[in-house]
Amino acid sequence: MKKSIIVGKTNAGKTLFMINFAEYIGLKKIVLKQEYPDGKKLSKEMSTDLAKSYLSSDREYKTQCIQSICIDLPVYKGKKEITLLDTSGLIDGIHPKLSVRNGIIQTLEKIQEADIILHMLDIALLIDNNTLSEIDRQIIEYGRNRKGYVLIPNKIDLDKDKIGLHTLRQEYPKQFMIPISALYKKGFDEVKAFVIRSI
Amino acid sequence: MDNEILNLYRVGKVSLNHTFDQLFNSDSKELSKARSNKKIEDNDSIDLILSELHNLVGLRNVKELIDEIMAFVEIQGKRKKENLLTEPVVLHMVFKGNPGTGKTTVARIIGRLFKEMGVLEKGHLIEIERADIVGEYIGHTALKVRQQVKKALGGILFIDEAYSLARGGEKDFGKEAIDALVKSMEDNKDNLILILAGYDYEMEDFLRTNPGLKSRFPIHVDFKDYSVEELIEIGLIMAKNREYKLTNTAVNKLKQILVKYNDSYNSGNARLMRNIIEKSIRKQALRLKRQKYISKDDLLYLKAVDIEGNDKY
Repeated sequence: MKKSIIVGKTNAGKTLFMINFAEYIGLKKIVLKQEYPDGKKLSKEMSTDLAKSYLSSDREYKTQCIQSICIDLPVYKGKKEITLLDTSGLIDGIHPKLSVRNGIIQTLEKIQEADIILHMLDIALLIDNNTLSEIDRQIIEYGRNRKGYVLIPNKIDLDKDKIGLHTLRQEYPKQFMIPISALYKKGFDEVKAFVIRSI
Repeated sequence: MDNEILNLYRVGKVSLNHTFDQLFNSDSKELSKARSNKKIEDNDSIDLILSELHNLVGLRNVKELIDEIMAFVEIQGKRKKENLLTEPVVLHMVFKGNPGTGKTTVARIIGRLFKEMGVLEKGHLIEIERADIVGEYIGHTALKVRQQVKKALGGILFIDEAYSLARGGEKDFGKEAIDALVKSMEDNKDNLILILAGYDYEMEDFLRTNPGLKSRFPIHVDFKDYSVEELIEIGLIMAKNREYKLTNTAVNKLKQILVKYNDSYNSGNARLMRNIIEKSIRKQALRLKRQKYISKDDLLYLKAVDIEGNDKY
């Protein structure tokens, strides 16, 4: 089974994207597998509506473990199952809390074994201070040299004048990117097409 | 995966950015460094390329010809500025000579040179042979030719063993390939240089049987076989590039071997030289392995015993 990992800074909208993407594919219920840094594993079944209110929030560091769900994607006449991994957000420098650092280490470990990397980027941040964070640049640099990487600028609904997207395009003119809004499910068909292409 | 760096991050000793670089971007950093180095190389000036050309051993006539062409291109440009009549700059060439006489090397240098001079947009070299442009069924050939020409646009299309295009007889598609090439030459005359390469005698024959071709390739370059002295010089440069040196006796033995080869098919061939040097490097390694103590000089020098020419290469 192919693994697709969602990475990005904290509060970029990774978890919401995962759940809404499952919903977009047509799932009403998801089976969520959580894997904590200390080795604890949980498996929960819940409706997508519940998952949204339960798992995602506008606070930072909501996700502190690897969460994964399996989804079926239609490929030609059949379908293919892929795992969608949602990870703890990355942050520049050294985070003071050990639990957050542990979550980040888990993320790093998963990146390499993933077949597809969906790099979530909060475009709204670019409007205000006009600059990309170091870790985002590093991920882009890494993605450039491997297969199955795509840059996904999220929250385009907040970027009405496309200033953020414009700055991003100027800095990485050749980078392939799919702008989306995880909240309003915009641009999901392109993400789906990309994932199908990559498996 | 590198656990040490992860542990360092866990205990808060290094930043995530450093960790990430260590884990994932260490090779890519080198890659990008190499890339930027390459960029510097790309921007090499005309002088640099010319010195590279003039550092090639022998090939006097080739160097003279390139100087001629450069002057011609430059002066035509100046005449154009003064609104004088200009000769069209047609630079399609025929390279004649035995294998290993530097045809491809010179073609590469010419590509870069023309790029710097603004004659060609990219200056890259696409090297093809008969099989790349001759199709298997009717109509296939033109398509293949067009594909290769498209790849070479802005650079040089180098056809090795070009005479083989006309060898197949009446029903062969090689003729079709020639026609298609001529057509695309005319269509892209400002953006493509075609170089036909092959053995002296066969190329002459090829051009004689295709009169249309001969007039379209105004520049003919003969690549003469290297003399024994030139070959020795080439061998010494090859060894030097690999940080080896040859003892005097080794040079003498090399000379003997080359003189012996002199009438055979491979004579005057830099590739033969390279094979001899590479073989002797392997033989030296074998000899040194048996030795108990190895000094730096031992590692550096290729001796006469290491040089052995009578193997088939």
